[in-house]
Amino acid sequence: MSCIDVTHLSKSYGSIKAVDDIVLSVKPGQVFGFLGPNGAGKSTTIKLLTTLIPPSNGSLTILGVDAIKNPLEIRHKIGVVLQQPSYEPTLSVEKSLDKYGMMWNVPKNERKKRMEQLLKDFDLVKIRKKRNEDLSIGQRRRVQVAREFMHDMDLLFLDEPTVGLDPSARRKLLDYLKNKVKTGLTIFYTTHILTEAEYLCDEIAIIDKGKIITVDSPEALKNKFGKEKTIKIHLLEKTPKISNLLEGIPDCKINFESGTNIVIHSEQSELVLLKILKILNDNNIEIEDLSAIPINLEEIFLKMVRKN
Amino acid sequence: MNSIIRLVNRNITISLNPGFLIWQIIFPLIYIFIVGFAYAPLIQNVPFGVKDLGYPAFLASGMIGFNIMNSTLVSGIIIWNDRRHGMFEQIMSGPFTRSHYILSNICTIGIIGLVSASLIALVGYPVFFESVEFSLITIPVIVFGAITGSILFGSLASIISTRLRSSEGFNVIINTVFLFFAFVSSAFYPADNVPEPLRTAFYLNPLTYLVDVIRAGIFGNITQFVIIEMLILVGIASVLFVIASKLLTKLDF
Repeated sequence: MSCIDVTHLSKSYGSIKAVDDIVLSVKPGQVFGFLGPNGAGKSTTIKLLTTLIPPSNGSLTILGVDAIKNPLEIRHKIGVVLQQPSYEPTLSVEKSLDKYGMMWNVPKNERKKRMEQLLKDFDLVKIRKKRNEDLSIGQRRRVQVAREFMHDMDLLFLDEPTVGLDPSARRKLLDYLKNKVKTGLTIFYTTHILTEAEYLCDEIAIIDKGKIITVDSPEALKNKFGKEKTIKIHLLEKTPKISNLLEGIPDCKINFESGTNIVIHSEQSELVLLKILKILNDNNIEIEDLSAIPINLEEIFLKMVRKN
Repeated sequence: MNSIIRLVNRNITISLNPGFLIWQIIFPLIYIFIVGFAYAPLIQNVPFGVKDLGYPAFLASGMIGFNIMNSTLVSGIIIWNDRRHGMFEQIMSGPFTRSHYILSNICTIGIIGLVSASLIALVGYPVFFESVEFSLITIPVIVFGAITGSILFGSLASIISTRLRSSEGFNVIINTVFLFFAFVSSAFYPADNVPEPLRTAFYLNPLTYLVDVIRAGIFGNITQFVIIEMLILVGIASVLFVIASKLLTKLDF
């Protein structure tokens, strides 16, 4: 059984279709990445999935429960970290965690235990007595994410949770989430940072203009859309005639930078490279450095969104 | 624990900060003991039913209603803060419904209103001690006033908080409205002695009815007019509560 089953889901605001006929299925125990440019419909989709807003059309089943008929039942089983900060300004960090656990009906002793653990896991021990309003954006974000782990859940929605975090805190959070997934938690994760999605997600959906363009694993996406490679050649000396020599090589796009750098984009990179190396050799042009860069998720993402 | 009780617990925790307590206790004390006695030589006796009340006793009883109104500002502040700091959306994505949220706010302001009324009644007791006429209905009338007044002014503060996003706008509107209620009412001076059209304005103000009802309970003067005032209070509180609930239900994310 899927954790999330979405069929022909739409949400309109007047004549604007924020989410347009999307179909999704998220398997239990996986991290499902949801990517898209600003205004693509990511946050609206999260609001629909977390039952914050009702859909205009379509059906939505979360953890086997009809989200349109029984939203409250679903909200008992999920955790949500929304994109916007959420905090009680006058409460201290530890009081925030404790009160949040209380709101979720976690027994007092259990709350204390979890709070101490989360304070350690999220590096909040030193600031545990500080009021939320006195924290930095990154600290506040850490409290917001940590707070969600005060209660039990089967499915966690994270809407750009690493916004405002420094690289070290970001990596710690991703590793923390990876460990949580190993215990059976399912995560629905939206982000703009594609390296995060690549590091964390088992499956990725790309949404643009309210429609899902593609859904697949990061590796499959790279294989599907990432045949094109970039090859960079750095010549030992400036060679003004180089553009003339390489002119006419088929199936590739070549850029020349400052007379010593050649950047080649091609889906048949091996063949193209062989041809270029032969020309360079025939003309006694020496190479200082050569590197081949496989396409990354960011390039696939940009390519797909541009195409859409 | 019930969802509403958990939210009330949370509401009270976030509301009880030193600033609020000072506002709730020190402010009325200044009115009762400084303004009350300073103005006593100017406003000697205030006729109230068959009695003549000293001004400090008149003011102290008025401060109960005034304090209930002030304490219900909490409701507006909770809603406004929850919206501004993302907690409204966060709570709504948790195991709660909008009805839970609305009812928890009403319970919170009811509790704060009652505690606030009791506190001022205790503090003001030495001042109106001589004129008090305890009867079986004294406490129920004060409790009625505290609850109806809390719902009425709490709903009003909630309505304002759902309509305004900026802190400046919220503060300006809420302070203007509540300042008007405080001073165009019989909380500080008797309505009978003020000139027209101010006197009419006094009776367009629900705080006047609230203060009249509480005074009638304390000084044992429940007349037919007071019963009409109680009914008016219930009517206004119900209408405002319905409007506030509807606005909260429609509140967008």
